[in-house]
Amino acid sequence: MPAIQVKNLCKTYVRRPFLGAKVEKPVLTGIDLTLQSGQVLGLVGESGCGKSTLCKVLLGIEPITSGSVEIFGENISGLSRTSWKELRRKMQVIYQDPYASLDPRFSVYQLLSEPLQIHGLYPNKSERKKYLRELLTAVQLDPVILDRYPHEFSGGQRQRIAIARALALKPQILIADEPVSALDVSVQAQILNLLKTIQRERKLSVLFVTHDFAVARFLCDEIAVMQQGKIVEQGPAEQIFEHPQHGYTQKLLSAVPSVEAAL
Amino acid sequence: MQAPVLQVEGLQVHFRTDLGVIPAVRGLSYTLPKGKVVAVVGESGSGKTVQALSILNLLPPSARVESGKILYQGKNLLTLRPKALRQIRGRKIAMIFQDPGASLNPVLTIGEQLCETLCAHQKISKQTARLRAAKLLSQVGIQEAEKRLNEYPFQFSGGMCQRVMIAMALALHPDILIADEPTTALDVTVQAQILKLIKDLQRQNAMSVLFITHNLAVAAQVADEVLVLYAGQCMEQAPAVDLFKNPLHPYTQGLLNSLASVRQKVEKLPAIAGNPPRPGEVLLGCPFALRCPKALKKCFESCPPIYENGARRTRCFLQEGK
Repeated sequence: MPAIQVKNLCKTYVRRPFLGAKVEKPVLTGIDLTLQSGQVLGLVGESGCGKSTLCKVLLGIEPITSGSVEIFGENISGLSRTSWKELRRKMQVIYQDPYASLDPRFSVYQLLSEPLQIHGLYPNKSERKKYLRELLTAVQLDPVILDRYPHEFSGGQRQRIAIARALALKPQILIADEPVSALDVSVQAQILNLLKTIQRERKLSVLFVTHDFAVARFLCDEIAVMQQGKIVEQGPAEQIFEHPQHGYTQKLLSAVPSVEAAL
Repeated sequence: MQAPVLQVEGLQVHFRTDLGVIPAVRGLSYTLPKGKVVAVVGESGSGKTVQALSILNLLPPSARVESGKILYQGKNLLTLRPKALRQIRGRKIAMIFQDPGASLNPVLTIGEQLCETLCAHQKISKQTARLRAAKLLSQVGIQEAEKRLNEYPFQFSGGMCQRVMIAMALALHPDILIADEPTTALDVTVQAQILKLIKDLQRQNAMSVLFITHNLAVAAQVADEVLVLYAGQCMEQAPAVDLFKNPLHPYTQGLLNSLASVRQKVEKLPAIAGNPPRPGEVLLGCPFALRCPKALKKCFESCPPIYENGARRTRCFLQEGK
């Protein structure tokens, strides 16, 4: 059973101005997408093509206009609050900017234990601390930092904390929305290596949203290319990179600057 | 080697903050040769933007140039009177910024903004200015320029706005264009177009370009020469081909190795360990020593000088005597 199965998904943003008729803006126009269990699916496309909107729909932050999304075979439209809560335990998210995604007033301990509290896991305090220390070790951070606050950390370290937070509930699906594009070049590689290791160890299904083809090639098994609210091409990563079929994919790939090509 | 059009000597810029004085640029020297593109590459906080802003005295109030010289046509730009500097800023040395949407005034039409630039520096009538503006727009590849002069920035896409910024910067045929991350906010296909446009216009006008970027691949594509900054210091400077084919500084080597490639899949990226130094962190030896796989004992004790070898300059003890 695929982790995520999207069929003919449409999403239209509707704006109702105070005066005048309502304005409709179609953002997703018939998306078909499959994330196989245990695989990394790279979603690439230019800004404004609807990548982030798709993530929001999958996470239930935005309602579906039409079409269907199934997560582990369960249709997400019309789910009750309690079912959503259950589902979110299986599906977590990492955002682009670790400066914005971590509450500055929360210590690392509070940040990481919030999801556990919500789901009533590890109620015993010493056990919870022990688990959180393991979690920090898994993202290659020193477990002694539990009492420290986000401002004390660099961008790369913050993103590790955000990853730890996403992993706290032992999810099966991870949605990563441009998780390395806000990081310094010399730190990107560390985080990419970490994501790959974690994905393999925990056999996570990952939807990896990126505009960077080089990053996608490193991490993804499958690639879906998105243009103006549609998936124009989906296939195994090697095939997309070596033999892109769709004109748009070819155009994008030929525009990617690379050091090798310039020499 | 051609005579430099811009010469930066021992530039030091400090920020005064609540946390004390933070050095952002720590003794930077380089030259910009005439008709060449020099790329300044570095991570956030390396001082690449700050050093560029100090050329045109555009630094924020909390920053101060502590020492150094920036020579243009024999004049030190740092000690020039504001009125004299205004003659140079925009006319002789123009600048474009990262976010094209934010650099244009949203309540004025594109035409008004272009004409404003022209009229500020030249005694020309409004009609002439408008004609010139239309010509400039079509030069940067905007169609129906005449009509689009009456439009507002929000009617332009990001790439189009950046074209307008380039048109504005090039309006007065400057000797030097400073481009601060001009394509970072743009999509790859648009980025490719803008890079080509800058390169074409640079060749046509024999202009010198100081191209600031964090993206090594972009630098490789546009630059004749590359300057690698780290913690406010120049780590390595070399002709682009030499630098990318045979980087000498361990930091440059590490950066290039750690890049994911679109051309082949690798199992693991050889990442540089650790994090860049925080602003204000006291650095005794080489700023990269803590992360450097080849660090010697003396790297932690004193900062290496720059070793020159032909056209290459490298700040690393490993280059001593080579």
